[in-house]
Amino acid sequence: MPEVLKAPLVVEFPFTRSLGPVQSAFLTGLRERVVLGVRTTDGRTLVPPVEYDPVTAEEIHDLVEVAPTGTVTTWAWNHAPRRGQPLTTPFAWVLVRLDGADTALLHVLDAPGPDAVRTGLRVRVRWAGERTGAITDIACFEPYDGDPARPGGHSGAFEDPLTGIVAPARLDYTYSPGRAQSAYIDALSARRTVGERCPSCRKVYVPPRGACPTCGVATAEQVEVGPRGTVTTFCIVNIKAKNLDIEVPYVYAHIALDGADLALHARIGGIPYDQVRMGLRVEPVWTEGARHPDHYRPTGEPDAAYETYKELL
Amino acid sequence: MSKEPVAVVGIGQTRHVAARRDVSIAGLVREAAQRALGDAELTWADIDAVVIGKAPDFFEGVMMPELYLADALGAVGKPMLRVHTAGSVGGSTALVAANLVAARVHGTVLTLAFEKQSESNAMWGLSLPIPFQQPLLAGAGGFFAPHVRAYMRRSGAPDTIGALVAHKDRRNALKNPYAHLHEHDITLEKVVASPMLWDPIRYSETCPSSDGACAMVLTDRAGAARAPRPPAWLLGGAMRSEPTLFAGKDFVSPRAGQDCAADVYRQAGITDPRRDIDAAELYVPFSWYEPMWLENLGFAAEGEGWKLTESGVTELDGDLPVNMSGGVLSTNPIGASGMIRFAEAALQVRGQAGEHQVDGARRVLGHAYGGGSQFFSMWLVGAEPPDS
Repeated sequence: MPEVLKAPLVVEFPFTRSLGPVQSAFLTGLRERVVLGVRTTDGRTLVPPVEYDPVTAEEIHDLVEVAPTGTVTTWAWNHAPRRGQPLTTPFAWVLVRLDGADTALLHVLDAPGPDAVRTGLRVRVRWAGERTGAITDIACFEPYDGDPARPGGHSGAFEDPLTGIVAPARLDYTYSPGRAQSAYIDALSARRTVGERCPSCRKVYVPPRGACPTCGVATAEQVEVGPRGTVTTFCIVNIKAKNLDIEVPYVYAHIALDGADLALHARIGGIPYDQVRMGLRVEPVWTEGARHPDHYRPTGEPDAAYETYKELL
Repeated sequence: MSKEPVAVVGIGQTRHVAARRDVSIAGLVREAAQRALGDAELTWADIDAVVIGKAPDFFEGVMMPELYLADALGAVGKPMLRVHTAGSVGGSTALVAANLVAARVHGTVLTLAFEKQSESNAMWGLSLPIPFQQPLLAGAGGFFAPHVRAYMRRSGAPDTIGALVAHKDRRNALKNPYAHLHEHDITLEKVVASPMLWDPIRYSETCPSSDGACAMVLTDRAGAARAPRPPAWLLGGAMRSEPTLFAGKDFVSPRAGQDCAADVYRQAGITDPRRDIDAAELYVPFSWYEPMWLENLGFAAEGEGWKLTESGVTELDGDLPVNMSGGVLSTNPIGASGMIRFAEAALQVRGQAGEHQVDGARRVLGHAYGGGSQFFSMWLVGAEPPDS
């Protein structure tokens, strides 16, 4: 049995977010070295601010400035900072209740070691040199033994407010296609297409998944199919995809390989796009070093009768 | 003990547009929820539980909307659930909420679905570069276009039908102030002349990309008795699923869709949907899905659905109007699109659909599907309570 394949899979995307009035003021404030909270219906000040009162569900927008100094309410030491965390040296995750606020803000504290951190420790904001309107405009907190700072009384109205942010998301996976697909890919390297037959319904799956999705039983019996097949249906693609180096128009087809019980999807070449038809008989065209056939081309056989493939559309 | 009858007493939508940069996602859902509460003349305190749905997480990168949106939806101290079923999610979310009322778990439930496509990327979310696999060559339109061709071959429908659907839905949208596309100068000629993207699907036969949210307040008999406006009553609701791909899958008329409709009709005592149902809001993201679903749902025999479209039966003033709101072809915040179908069905039987109201609509079907035509959810709502 061939080795089960594995490969890294990184999924990342720069999502955008519209901020709405409250988050817009909060992040613009950080850019201007002002920390804003929001006043709730019962008179508490929430930092970071929210758009809706957590008790009454009313919309709230009464912004108030709080001090850049505060008190650690709880903490955890991080011995080994990871990629993308606010500091590269070991630090404490802290919840800080800023002077003037009733709730605590999650951030990091730059301290020499866990012995230097305690609940009740007085801290102040260390501002980032370059600020863009992000929570990282507060570079971190640092221990502070001076008097509480006075908040400036800012209204929360700014010139040139930030209205949106980019929130990049990234997930790192190790992807394995599993036993059945690894065997399928291994056979492809010898330009053979090998599926698996369900022991219950006898259908041949290409590519195989290791289990029959209808019967819910494992599949193991290998069956070589193709290499020829029939175009069961298709569309003509007229718009160029960003990440694909294929000239348009081209034909994207469902092809039932001889002996397979469902169609796979591939491009048709070697024939003008407007002459491709349902029932066209095709065969794979391989290019050196590629894992999958580059495309399928007509074999020159007569077209298959509709009755022979109508269940495989 | 029989089920508690379920009534829709509040409906709210945002005005769907390409990009709502003025509000956060929380602000967007709040707007729809407030309108639904306003319609029902209820406050947050009257709501016992919240059930929300949205598009698949990769589409917009919000992984735990229930966590982020609890305060915006007044869910503090109340149960909050999230439902996932790809594009059909708006429908299945409403049904989960309805079942909570039918089972007498809760008296009054707020249900809501949303998506901000402007902050999302569905195309990226659908085409992650999976190692060892051949990249998908075509995107969503390319996925569905071959199935449309299969339908055309199987039914012998003339190739003009798709454009008729698009022309109708875009004209209907002109009567719906909440619809995204308002193409005042739309003509059949313009639809036909629009670029062919994934032949046989033209640009004007595809759905737009929208930001929007839709909310409903569902309640029991006691709640319905207090409602300020006529309720819509749930007469039948069902969901069905099947795998994306399997040997023998019928993409033109999926078995799960047929079974789902049959279950709804059985619950509602419908024996002839074409005769017994007055109008339908069907999930039609590409024009040709109208005749395909008309067959799948039993409004026409196999191979005959296109004849209803061609003869004008599905027009707003036809005998079986379909997509009076303008449909998904005119408005598509994916995560909300299914719930908009359900809500529009309810608006019709309440007589609250405004300019796109169908006269005398007493029983209307709301339909949603998602994934690779693998998740189906439907409800039939009526102007009269069940068994009355």
